[in-house]
Amino acid sequence: MSLRQAVDRSRAYLCLECGICTGSCPVSRFHSAYSPRLTVEKALLFDEEESLRDAEMWACLTCGTCDIRCPSTVDFTGFMRSLRERARQIGQEGVCTHAETIEAVIELQTSAHYRRSTSWMASGKTVGKAKYYYFAGCLPFLDVIFDDIGFEGRRIGTSVIRILNRIGITPAVSEGEVCCGHDAYWTGQTELVETLATTNIRAIRKTGAKKVIFSCPECYYMFKHVYPEIVGDLGFQPVHIFDVLVPHLDSFKFKPVKAKVTYQDPCRLARIEGVIDEPRRALRALPEIDFVEMQRIGKDAVCCASSNWISCSRVNKQIQLDRLEEAISTGARTMVTACPKCNIHLRCAARDDECKIKIDIVDIFVLLADHLGGGKRGT
Amino acid sequence: MLDAGRHPKIKMLAYSEVEGVRGENGHFELKVRRKARYVKEDVCNACGMCVSKCPGRAPDAFDMGLRKRTAIYLYFSQGIPAVMTIDPENCIYFTKGRCRTCEKVCDKGAIDFDMKDRVESFKVNAVILATGLDIFDPSDLTQYGFGRLKNVITGLQYERLINATGPTAGHLYRPSDGKLARKVAYVQCVGSRDLTNCGYCSSVCCMYSIKDAMLAREHDPESVSYIFHTDLRNVGKWFQKYEMRAREEYGVKFIRGRVAQIEEDADCNPVVWYEDTRLQQVKSLKVEMVVLATAAMPALGTSKLARLMHVKTDPHGFISTRPDEPADTSRPGIFACGFCKGPCDIPEAVSQASAAAQRAAAFVSTGAGV
Repeated sequence: MSLRQAVDRSRAYLCLECGICTGSCPVSRFHSAYSPRLTVEKALLFDEEESLRDAEMWACLTCGTCDIRCPSTVDFTGFMRSLRERARQIGQEGVCTHAETIEAVIELQTSAHYRRSTSWMASGKTVGKAKYYYFAGCLPFLDVIFDDIGFEGRRIGTSVIRILNRIGITPAVSEGEVCCGHDAYWTGQTELVETLATTNIRAIRKTGAKKVIFSCPECYYMFKHVYPEIVGDLGFQPVHIFDVLVPHLDSFKFKPVKAKVTYQDPCRLARIEGVIDEPRRALRALPEIDFVEMQRIGKDAVCCASSNWISCSRVNKQIQLDRLEEAISTGARTMVTACPKCNIHLRCAARDDECKIKIDIVDIFVLLADHLGGGKRGT
Repeated sequence: MLDAGRHPKIKMLAYSEVEGVRGENGHFELKVRRKARYVKEDVCNACGMCVSKCPGRAPDAFDMGLRKRTAIYLYFSQGIPAVMTIDPENCIYFTKGRCRTCEKVCDKGAIDFDMKDRVESFKVNAVILATGLDIFDPSDLTQYGFGRLKNVITGLQYERLINATGPTAGHLYRPSDGKLARKVAYVQCVGSRDLTNCGYCSSVCCMYSIKDAMLAREHDPESVSYIFHTDLRNVGKWFQKYEMRAREEYGVKFIRGRVAQIEEDADCNPVVWYEDTRLQQVKSLKVEMVVLATAAMPALGTSKLARLMHVKTDPHGFISTRPDEPADTSRPGIFACGFCKGPCDIPEAVSQASAAAQRAAAFVSTGAGV
């Protein structure tokens, strides 16, 4: 897609230059060289080459705050994605974090001989064929990379399965499942996304599942919005675990949680899907919990500041530390989140020397599963 | 308004609602519901004795909810006709079955708890729609914190605060702690020029915000005002000069940038985050109060009224009028003027009213229109 087409498709030509995007951008708040407004302006005024060689384009977190606030409804993140796709064609790319390990893990999963292990999920009940499928995504791989900061991705997965089992669902899982391609998508690697999407669809269709349950907001986003554009009708319905879980909250009989906690809304879940109330209902279902809100919540929540495994810099750390400070100022010493990436990035920042007061980062499904009481099994 | 109220040839039906219209082209029959006030209009002289004794309370709609009124009330002091009304939803007698204090204290015997709505019919030659505007509810724009941050108010609430007959007797006492607000930010385009909400320029906000900022300085020489705007749309004779006076004589500061987000410090001071698009920098400014220039939109009942009258509306919900005859709606004999047909300021609404009256007069004199 040419820059001109990207402008037309995102309707960037409607820009009023009002600055609400840049004023809202978590990156621009700490890094003045990056400005969504000026990125659009440059694309409208200058030649394509200049826009594509602008290294700042890789600073965008694709968090979508600008998108939802833009009075002209310009699809800025969509524009940014097209720009990145085009930039890759002329050999430009962002700086990958973690020495490109995660990129390598994603690439490996496109091999025809690739089979992932499902044995780590054995503590819960799973099967090969069922009406429901649980899509675990990258959770087991992230454990290997983020072991040093105490991130436990597999525990998130097994917690989700325990919750599903309690509701009475024995989900199918598959060795043929691969990465959802979320980060490849936002960094403009369209072919890679297509390969991953078709592999996943094939693996899930083999299980005969009619509903695919997600705990990761990014995997859910990809299946709900991007995969249908690539493969057409999926043949099954993508469902977020909150939709399955919330109707059963009353029957769970949770054990008490004696802690003051706050909640970090993930970008994809809150800003894009509008799933804001559900996680709060789940947290409030925990007896004795002292739940407090930060100032910027729901659609106004702040991104964990590194969304595509690119551009992890001092700026990103500042965004994270600022967010942690906001959380700490509520009096909470536990921050609950529903996205593995928020968990990893804020956990990393919480261990930074500049984070003076300690705060724990906890996954919501781990918290819920660990406090499941002896209530009766649903049907 | 007072002149119209006293005019021998004008019959004013306040507290009434049109429920149906029959006929066409110069011969209409209107069905009007005259709502029960529970106060006899021809007896009440608005002495206020009932108000001083009434125990019922409700938010005062005219004061934008900034203070409470009694259950028997005068909507506003210059209203026509100057008679009291009982609001049955908040009246102790209507809700709990006893009280009737107003009845006891009224020397005139104007209270009538048994009053019922009456539906009356009127034959008219022409109808003029002039239902005006309502303001956009800014609580949907969660980033501005309206309803959550106490010191973020709307332009209409500001009008009541700065008004000598308002809840603070004209002083800018802010809602959180009643302290005088001296550093005030005015946020333009809240819902206006916004394709998700009101996809048009409300046309009056730039000018009234400048006026508000100048008023603040007149009340208090130490006040500082900041107007955050997209583009200043001061379209009209002398309007730009007014802006220059605000800058030069009143020290009003103009910042080009649509406000992104409003946060709050520990003392309930709003912190405004924005990009100063001239400097290309993201900044924050701590102020003592924020005034949102909320979009103006067709009054809430406009679409219902349009259906009733069989007149067309545009995609924004304004009454559509003919390009060649701007006071004429899609139905002969029915005219429109003011904000119900599109954004306009007061002088423009007045001249539109004259135009609509002149068009309607043609129908009245011939009985069938031209």
